[in-house]
Amino acid sequence: MSVAVSEQAVQAIVRRAEERYGVERLRLLVATDHLFGALMVGQWIFGIFVALTFSPFAWEGKVKALHMHVWTAVLLGAAISSLPLALIAWRPGAAVTRHVIAAAQMLWSALLIHLSGGRIETHFHVFGSMGILAGYRDWPVLITATVVVAADHIIRGLVWPESVYGIVNPEWWRFLEHAFWVVYAISFLAVLCRRGVRDMRAIAERGAELEALSESEWRTASVLDRSKEAGTSEAHAAGAPVARERIAAR
Amino acid sequence: MITHSTRRTRVVLPALLLGWATAVTSGFAILLRYKTTPGEATQPLQRWPSHSRLTPSSDLATLVLFAHPHCPCTHASVSELARLMSRVSGRVVAYVVVVRPPGVPEDWDDTELRRRAAAIPGIRVIRDGEGLEAARFGAAVSGLTLLYDEKGQLRFAGGITASRGHEGESFGGRRILAVLAGETPDRQDAPVFGCALGASANVGVEEGS
Repeated sequence: MSVAVSEQAVQAIVRRAEERYGVERLRLLVATDHLFGALMVGQWIFGIFVALTFSPFAWEGKVKALHMHVWTAVLLGAAISSLPLALIAWRPGAAVTRHVIAAAQMLWSALLIHLSGGRIETHFHVFGSMGILAGYRDWPVLITATVVVAADHIIRGLVWPESVYGIVNPEWWRFLEHAFWVVYAISFLAVLCRRGVRDMRAIAERGAELEALSESEWRTASVLDRSKEAGTSEAHAAGAPVARERIAAR
Repeated sequence: MITHSTRRTRVVLPALLLGWATAVTSGFAILLRYKTTPGEATQPLQRWPSHSRLTPSSDLATLVLFAHPHCPCTHASVSELARLMSRVSGRVVAYVVVVRPPGVPEDWDDTELRRRAAAIPGIRVIRDGEGLEAARFGAAVSGLTLLYDEKGQLRFAGGITASRGHEGESFGGRRILAVLAGETPDRQDAPVFGCALGASANVGVEEGS
């Protein structure tokens, strides 16, 4: 009987640990979604600011008109941020939400590079975004981001190579050099993501064990108190050993 | 929350993803088209215009870049000019002609772009009142760069950016470097990405012909 009870106790702890892990993971995912929600709005405002700063007007002699970059920042920026924001509100914590966010974040990198006139410094946005996406502790999200970057590089590399590589006739292997640095970044970020998940699981297991320990001690104490009050030894004989076994089972 | 999956969700979510992808792809396609569409093509003078106030070098090549002082795209041309000058220092005489359309205030061309151009070592900035020099040379688009050899013969006419307002290596820049290195480039022109200068390009053609 005591083996059966211990097994039940272990299973209960495992279930509770999974439950705690699920709750914590969801909390992390939702919090990171909300962080990106703020970032999506912030990047939109920043994109408009960049457009208004670098290229507010297009000119024809002394006649000026609002520059295409301003329209692009307002409309395309809104389009990029719209679905992530909708999903953050509609399905926070869902896998589709963070994958759309990853894609949108890389699209923001591309847009900001255009709006800043191809400044080399703006390209750092790609790697910065990869680091922030690692906050999800979900390495497939990094793969989605990489696929979007790769698609952008491949398409632009074919129709407009100088915008990607900075030179007009890049060597055929040039894309491998770019790919190497992205793979370098996400390889280590993926390891860190897995380590983060492992730590979360360990914390959840310890929490479940502590909960079970507290519960068992409470129950044992309750039974002992009741048995003292009742003046009988039966309750002690039946309850305490089981509780102690359940504690000892861990 | 995560496990919530209804028929409505299964229909709406893919539709939203498809609509979003289409909208974003279309937006980038429009932007790409805008950035790679050059300004109006003109026919610059094949020989240095005799009426020009600019003095060509008789023993070095002479480079002239026409700039609209407010054109945001031309900032990239100025950045590329700075890179170019750092590579051909001492081998070329270079001017940036800041074009002022007729009827603008005196300080209209006192802009960051003009100051950036003036800060490039080896560059002489010329204020072109009424856009006369631009008209003489047949320049219609900001960013147009002309390279004349020491005999006054046009060797290159075009832009030195890869697209509208985008820094980075360009065919135009490469061709100028080839000419200055004594090589024969594959072409003597390149698309110009910039604002319209607002000067009549025809004046130059008429004057030269």
